[in-house]
Amino acid sequence: MSGIDDSASVPAGAGRERSLPSRRSVLQGVAGAGAAGVAAAALMNAGLPAAAAAIAPAGAARGQAREHTAEPEPVVVHIRDAAAGVLDVFRGTAHIQVRDKELAARLMRASG
Amino acid sequence: MSSHREAPEISKDPVADSTDLYAFVSPDKPDTVTLIANYLPLEGPAGGPNFYEFGDDVLYEINIDTHGHGEADITYEFRFHTQLPNPDTFLYNTGPITSLHSPTWNRRQTYSVTRRDGRGKHRLGEGLICPPCNIGPLSTPHYDALAGAAVHTLSDGSRVFAGQRAEGFYVDLGSIFDLGDLRPFQKFQVFAKGAGLNAAPGVNTPKFLNVHSIALQVPIPRVTEHHRPVIGVWTAAKRQRARILDFEGTGHVRSGPHTQVSRLGNPLFNEVIVPLGKKDYWNTQRPVHDKQFAHHVAHPELAGLLPVLYPAVFPRLAALDKAGKARADLEAILLTGIPKGIIDGFTNFTGPVQADMLRLNTSIPPTTPNPSIFGLLGGDAAGFPNGRRVFDDVVSIELRAIAGVTYKLIDPSYSVDAAAGELTDGLTPADLGGPYLSHFPYLGVPYDGYHHPS
Repeated sequence: MSGIDDSASVPAGAGRERSLPSRRSVLQGVAGAGAAGVAAAALMNAGLPAAAAAIAPAGAARGQAREHTAEPEPVVVHIRDAAAGVLDVFRGTAHIQVRDKELAARLMRASG
Repeated sequence: MSSHREAPEISKDPVADSTDLYAFVSPDKPDTVTLIANYLPLEGPAGGPNFYEFGDDVLYEINIDTHGHGEADITYEFRFHTQLPNPDTFLYNTGPITSLHSPTWNRRQTYSVTRRDGRGKHRLGEGLICPPCNIGPLSTPHYDALAGAAVHTLSDGSRVFAGQRAEGFYVDLGSIFDLGDLRPFQKFQVFAKGAGLNAAPGVNTPKFLNVHSIALQVPIPRVTEHHRPVIGVWTAAKRQRARILDFEGTGHVRSGPHTQVSRLGNPLFNEVIVPLGKKDYWNTQRPVHDKQFAHHVAHPELAGLLPVLYPAVFPRLAALDKAGKARADLEAILLTGIPKGIIDGFTNFTGPVQADMLRLNTSIPPTTPNPSIFGLLGGDAAGFPNGRRVFDDVVSIELRAIAGVTYKLIDPSYSVDAAAGELTDGLTPADLGGPYLSHFPYLGVPYDGYHHPS
């Protein structure tokens, strides 16, 4: 159990590409904005090809990926650092960090 | 309290707030250990119409370290699911609940138990039903039998119970958090003395309150390694990192990995040892990282406060504190276990890794018929800090240890203050509202809302 913070038991990296939502699905799901960050919830099946510039499993989720389910899973995106284009993407029990300045900027604009 | 509402953030999240953890060799089945993790502090028995329940969105864990490395080698996971057969009534029950399948019971919970160990994940049970809360004699007649039917046998032969229980922890919160007053000693307490207060019996604050317990009874070989009888135990509650309140869709959105929001090993560790500014952070950490809190164990704030609050009562403790010597006795009790050679015939040492875990030497048989509520300090090696039984007086034990009673174990030249060995908040199990059970799950029948408060 060493280092495990969750029950996900899928091998590290498995499903990482599929767990990333497309820019379109993220933008469709923009839900609100705040001064320090923006959270966007894409409440649809986000199975489109990845489009971000860089992807990395994040922090506590390192070594984990989402468990496979037949149901569409909601995706929640948090803009951690708009200037650097750092986004936290949550889906199922996975968390990845995306670096995409353009996507972050578009979300910020969409959030008002 | 032991760990009830012990940190600012978790005090606002009661379903994930671990309140007490117990680990002991079962007195009536000494080939098993019983592990009990309590949640939902200070339940008023009459808390309807929405009676207390576990969180469907909380992942509850009981973790066991079998190798002394401060990490979980075995984890039992508990996940709950609430069912509402009839959403068109405001009632928890529409008639007497006479069985766990009673159609009059309208809000019920089931749960699954999964074991994670070095061989993977194993689902040990699912669809296991919790008992209802103890509402009153009309709604939940024969509650003892009703709850007894909610003790389930898992696929590996272990037994499990999850549901409401009577609070078994006794403590005089009202006095202790009023500037460290202990009613039996208040004629010596600087503020109480000024107010003219004389010695008085303790008042058991959580008397007639309930908690929710997750209890496991497991054969000892299932939770120990060969030739390693000492285990370290802690409970943890986790939530998914992202949550969106969605009242327009099909329900709230939860997403992301589970992250720890609460944990508990030794009673009172986060409550009394960890300073306020670190309590929330402590709850997010795993025991393996507890070296970062070791300074607070070696130099506990309370050891410095006792001589100030009780002038001239603890002169030797004051001198010890002033000397700045690390409290190796407390480090052993709380962070590593007590090595061999300190107490004749006893050890619960797990190794040099400093980690707050409840350490139980499973090779020590239960003390029957007359265990001491003072555990090891009372000459009873089957009690706290060798694990913790439901009746152990952990408040007095830890007060006495912090006051210097156990320092003599590592420095025989130290002379203990006379009052240190007498410290207590003035309570015993006789101050509970009802008895413990002599069998699994050991914590008593919960108080019902009709009779409590009376």
